[in-house]
Amino acid sequence: MLVEFDLIQKAQKGDASAFNEIVSAYRRRIMGTISHVIGRPEDVEDVAQEVFIRLYFSLGQLRTAEVFEPWLYRLTVNASYDYLRKSRRRIESRMADLSEQQVMMADAVAGSRAQHDDSEKRRVRDTVQELLSTVSEEDRILLTLKEVEGLSLKELEKIYDVNENALKVRLFRARQRVLKKMKEVTGPSSFNAKDEEAS
Amino acid sequence: MIFNKPMEQGKADEGRLDELFRAYRAACPAPEPGANFMPNIWARIEAREVSTNWFGRVAKTLVTAALAASMILGMMISSTNQSSAFFNATFVDALRADHASSLEPLHLDRISQFAPE
Repeated sequence: MLVEFDLIQKAQKGDASAFNEIVSAYRRRIMGTISHVIGRPEDVEDVAQEVFIRLYFSLGQLRTAEVFEPWLYRLTVNASYDYLRKSRRRIESRMADLSEQQVMMADAVAGSRAQHDDSEKRRVRDTVQELLSTVSEEDRILLTLKEVEGLSLKELEKIYDVNENALKVRLFRARQRVLKKMKEVTGPSSFNAKDEEAS
Repeated sequence: MIFNKPMEQGKADEGRLDELFRAYRAACPAPEPGANFMPNIWARIEAREVSTNWFGRVAKTLVTAALAASMILGMMISSTNQSSAFFNATFVDALRADHASSLEPLHLDRISQFAPE
C-alpha cells in the first residue's frame, strides 16, 4: 500500500491535507489505469478527478486497510465504465451540435495529440481500441486490467468481488472475441505467413 | 504434424495479442497531472457538497410539511368522529338500538303462556 492506514483514518475524520496526500500518492497509478482503459489521454485527468471525488464521499465507509486498494480500483473501474458509456453517446452527437469554442478546443486537442504522438503509437492505440470495441464495456475494462495493467486474478477477485472461476470464464470469452476480431483486422498471423512461404 | 497446425496457429495468435497489449501499454503512458489537478478536485467536491446540501434541505422541508399535513388531517378526522354519536357506537350497539324489542331476553314465565294446554 502506498499510504499508511493512519493517513486514511485522518482523511476519514475530515483532514484535508491527509486526503491531499492520499491523492498525491495514488494519482499517477490511477491515471495510468484510466489511460489504458479509456485510451483517450485528454480525458484521463477528468475521469481521475471523478475517482478521487467518489473516494472523498465514500471514505467514511472504509473499515480495514486491506480493502483500500481494491476499493480504489473499483471506484476507478466504475468511473471509467461511466465515461465509456457517456462517450459512446457522445460519439453519436454531430459536430454541428458543438459551439464554435468547443470545435476550436477539439481541433487544438487533436492537433497537439498529433504533434506529440508518433504514428506507430497511434496505430497501436487505434488497433487495440478497435479490438476492444468488440466486447462490452465491462469486459473491455476487465480485459484491460488483466492484460494491460497486469493485475492478477486474485487482485481482480477482490476488485470485482466474484470468484476466480467466474472471472476466468469471462476473461476467456472476452479474449476469444478479441482474438477473432484481431484475425479480421490484422490478417493472418506470422506463423501462417511463414507456413505458407514454406509450402 | 497436420493435427498440430491449428493449435500452433492459435498459440501464435495468442502471442500476437499479448504483444499487441504490451505495445498498447507502452503507447498509453500515464499522463502527468496538471497543476490544477488538486484545486479542481476540491472545487468539484465543494460544488457537489453545495448541491447535496440543497437537496437535503429541500427533502427535509418536504418531510416536515408532509408530517404537519398528516397531523392536521388526523386531528380533523378525530374531531369529526367525536362529534358524531353514530360513529362512537359499536356495531352491536347500533343493532341493539334498532331492534331493542326483538333482542329482549326470553322470560320463562312468558314462555309458559305459550305452552299447549
